[in-house]
Order: sequence, then structure tokens, then C-alpha cells
Amino acid sequence: MDPVIALNAVDYAIIGGYILVMIFVGYSLKKYMKTGEDFFLSGRSLPSWITGLAFLSANLGALEVIGMVANSAKYGIATVHFYWVGAIPAMVFLGIFMMPFYYGSRVRTVPEYLKLRYNEATRGLNAISFAIMTVLMSGISLYAMALLFKLMLGWSLTGSILFAAVVVLLYVFWGGLSSSIYNEVIQFFLIWLGLLPIVFLGLKEVGGFSGFVAKLKEPLLHSVKYLGTSNNPLGVDWFGVVFGLGFVLSFGYWTTDFLVVQRALASKNINSARMTPIIASFPKMLVPIIVVIPGLVALIVLPEFSQAGLPATEYNSALILLMKHYLPNGILGLAITALLASFMSGMAGNVTAFNTIWTYDIYGTYIKKGKSDSHYLKMGKYATIFGIVISIGTTYIVRSFPNLMDYMQLVFSFFNAPLFGTFLLGMFWRGATAWGGFFGLLVGILTAAGHYILYKFGVLHYASDMAANFYQAWWAWLADFVVTIGVSLLTKKRDPAELKGLVFGLTPRTKAAVRWLARPEVWGSLAIIIAVILNIIFW
Amino acid sequence: MNGKIEAKRQHTEQGKGHFLDLKLPIGWLLSAYGVLLGIYGLVTKKEMYEKSLGFNLNLAWGVLMLVIGAGFLLTAFLKRGKDG
Repeated sequence: MDPVIALNAVDYAIIGGYILVMIFVGYSLKKYMKTGEDFFLSGRSLPSWITGLAFLSANLGALEVIGMVANSAKYGIATVHFYWVGAIPAMVFLGIFMMPFYYGSRVRTVPEYLKLRYNEATRGLNAISFAIMTVLMSGISLYAMALLFKLMLGWSLTGSILFAAVVVLLYVFWGGLSSSIYNEVIQFFLIWLGLLPIVFLGLKEVGGFSGFVAKLKEPLLHSVKYLGTSNNPLGVDWFGVVFGLGFVLSFGYWTTDFLVVQRALASKNINSARMTPIIASFPKMLVPIIVVIPGLVALIVLPEFSQAGLPATEYNSALILLMKHYLPNGILGLAITALLASFMSGMAGNVTAFNTIWTYDIYGTYIKKGKSDSHYLKMGKYATIFGIVISIGTTYIVRSFPNLMDYMQLVFSFFNAPLFGTFLLGMFWRGATAWGGFFGLLVGILTAAGHYILYKFGVLHYASDMAANFYQAWWAWLADFVVTIGVSLLTKKRDPAELKGLVFGLTPRTKAAVRWLARPEVWGSLAIIIAVILNIIFW
Repeated sequence: MNGKIEAKRQHTEQGKGHFLDLKLPIGWLLSAYGVLLGIYGLVTKKEMYEKSLGFNLNLAWGVLMLVIGAGFLLTAFLKRGKDG
């Protein structure tokens, strides 16, 4: 098969320039990695504009971008729910209400918080499931990239998997979390610069928003109007969107996934940590510009998309076909570099989250306790290597699932959805007991898995796979919530003195030490207001 | 206990900055891209830009990236001048 896109020397120079800068940044960070905290948490020294952009970019992997453009071509403007309902409220909530407990308690990882708040078993359950999940995600990123290069450049799957794995390995091995974060910030700029030309040209060719109205079916153009029943492009009703996606999946992901929370923990002080997700929420609101518009444009200008009844996997090629359609060599190299960067940072993010959890919560807790800091630093570096090796293996699992995005949602809902129930009760209800937390989480995960099995065997019916995912998240969360409360009422309460700094109401409020313009509450409220207005505009 | 944590935090905040100034690599990378794309835009023929609806995208985007890149470099150097 001929490659879709023919690159020339200028394109390759742009790709090469990016790789060189990343390796240079990784290498120059090497000398600063003296302690475990330097390697795993960037020495808790970064300013909030860096952690904020990294917080956003950690989630804006190649897979996310390609998948969201595909979703937009498939579901239309309703894709904005993944942003304005499914991200902003959770990010603001994390910054305002939850970050004081994460950063304030000086924990190094999310599972470590669970250890302090509940018990060792809860930490173990979360740490192990997270380690597995994050390696799966890393494999997904790798596979997405390899598929992309195969389609675009005709590279072999194995070849590009190995090439990317080696580059990521080099810079994470040298610079740890800092490498990962710096790459994410660079990626943030590249992705906007690389994709905006498609947005401009696409809008010009179709004749702006009125062009969409004239040429696309009405249900594709509304985010909320058709959510009364599941008879809309998403196949999900409002309850599934608001409670499944907006509440459980979104809060589960943004507030408890160590991959994103780790960025905030790298901040230099508590105010920066709280500002991290809130700074990220503003560009997050704008991401639909570079994913939804191209998705809609694809439906109009690409001949491949004009016939109905496209098989699901074909949607994933929308973005690449648009690049081929609009971008001349030169700028084409930039767009491809942007995708390469967003893929690599996605993988690097997963690898750094993995090596941290592995070293602190699994190795340092169950395998070799109480070793020196330099021992764990070394282990973190080894974990980087075997994390990458396992992700390469994971790419073979991913090949058997046709729609990457739905798969991602599936993985999230098994592990993350119930977790948010555990955190919510842990941070805001002092009555939650150690074993209440553990059994709540366990039952939540089992509920998710059980629901998935019942759905797959046809016992439960939904209008679409996405609806099944959203409802699965909701039931898993509910099971976690109810079981945690139930078991807590039957088991021994913890001494309130032990919970100081971990639970709302037992923790002194953070003093507003900064001027009002720098306060997370002010910016968080502004983010919520803008998100509501955007939802109304695209109703 | 809280006072102690607060003091430690203060120390972290003032004692060490972050590892390297990220504005520099971003600035250099974007400026280099800008120059490369700009020159490429100048030397390439009009026919190449039919797909981009007639815009010389390389030239226009190259200039834009050079401006953004130079902005990063300028901020980084100004800050360095002030600190040193």
C-alpha cells in the first residue's frame, strides 16, 4: 500500500528538529536528578504555567486528538461534551477542593493518599490496578502512533513502535517527570500551531459555521438539544452524559488519575498546585476548535466521508486525510511533528506515572521497604525501561479492538469511576473507615467488570457502546459509594486526629495568602461561567 | 506541625528554581521552524499552494512562528538580565 502522505526533506527536518530538542532537553536535565523527588516529582519546583500546560497536554495525546476528530465526524458537535461537561467542572473541583489534601498532605502519589486516609490494602488495590492501566494506556499511545505512521508514511508498525519507544526511553530515563512535563509544554504549542491551519482552511472552504448548517444534518450541529432521549448521534441520553460522563468518568479521571495529578504535585507551592488544573481548564475549553471543526469539515470536504455507513475504524483516519487534503509540504511536517509530539508525550506521561507508582507504592512498599533514596532513584530508572518494554507488548493487545477511544473509556470506567467514590467520601466524610474504603473500591471495580460482561453477553441493552460505558461508570461509582458507606457504618471509626490534613473539616482552611487575582477560587469560578456560556451557545 | 511544613515550603520556593528555563528551548525551536518554513515558503512555487486554497501557508505560518519563538526568547533573556 502506498503511503497517504509523501514527506520531503523539509518535513523530515522539522520532525528531526523536534526529536533533537527533546533529547537535548532530556540530556540537560540529567545532572539535576539527584534525589528521588527530583526524578519523580521534578523536585516540587515548577511554576504553575508549566504544570498547568502539562496538566492539559498529558491528556491531549495523539490518541485523544485523532479519536476526538473521529468522534466529531461521527457524532458532530455533541463531542464538546467531552470538554465542557466532561472536563471543566472536574478540573475546577480538583483545584479548589481536592488539591489542598493532595499537596497539603505532602503525599508523593495518589495511592499514597489512600494509604494515609484508608489503609495499606486500599493503596495496594489502587496502585496495582493503576500500574496495569497506565501500561495499557502507554501501549495504546504507541499503537496509535504506529498506525498513524503506517498510514501516512508507510513505515512498518514494528519499526515506528521501536523508534518512538527508544526516544521516549532516552529522555525519561535522563530527566524523569521533568522531561515528561517539558515535552508536554512543547507539545502544547506544537499541537495548536500544527492543527490551526487545517481549521482556518477548512472553515474557509466550507464557508464558516453557516456552511456547516447548510451542508450537515441538523442533529450533528447541537450539543444538548437532542439529548432528551438516546435517539441522537451519540446514542446516549442526558442522564448518561451528565452523570456517567460529566460526573463519574470525568471526576474519576481528572481528580484521581495519577497521570494528571502528578503534574500538580510537581508545583512549587500549594497555590501553584491548586492553580494547575484551573490554568489548564482555559485552553481545555478551546480544544474543540482543533478537533470538532476538523471533524465536521472532514464530513463535507473529504469524498471518503460523504457516503453513509462508514465502518467505525475509518473515522480515525479523518485527521490524517485532512492533513493530506490541505497542507503543503513544510507545514505538513509541522502538523505531523505535532502529532508525533502529542503521541510521545502521552507515552512519556504514562511511563513516568508508572515508574513513580511502581517505585513508591509497589516496590518500596511490598518488595524492598526502607532502602535509601538513591536505591529508589535507581529503581525508578529501571522501571522506566521495563515499563516501556511492557507497553510494547501491550500494542499487540490493542490491535484487536477497533475503536481506540471507546476502549479507552472502557479502561477508565473499570478502574477510575469507582475510585472517585472512594475519594469523595475519603476527603469529605470523616466517617469513612479503612475497610469501608477498601471494600467500596473493590466492589466498584467488580461492578464495572460485571456490568461489562452482562452488556457483552447481551443481558443489558443500550442504544450505543458509548451509552453502555457511561452507565457502567455510573453504576460502578454508585456501588462504590453505597458499599463504602455501608461498610464504614459497621467497622471501627478512625481517630479524627489521624485524619488531620486528609479530610475536609479536620483540616485548617488554607489562608488566602495571595492577592485575589491569583486565587484559584476566582479563576475556577470564571472557568465554570465560561463553560456554561459555551454550552448555551452550542445548545 | 503546620508551621513547620509552611517553613519547609517557603524554603523550597525560594531555595531552588526549576531546573531549566523552558522558554529557551521552546523559543529556539519555534524560531528555527519559523525561519525554515519562511525561507521554504519564499523559494517554493505557487502551484504547491493550490491545496491550501492559494495561501502561501509556509511563508505566513513561518513568520507567525518566528514571532512567537522570538517572543519566548526575548522574555527569557529579559528575565535572565533582571536576575543576573
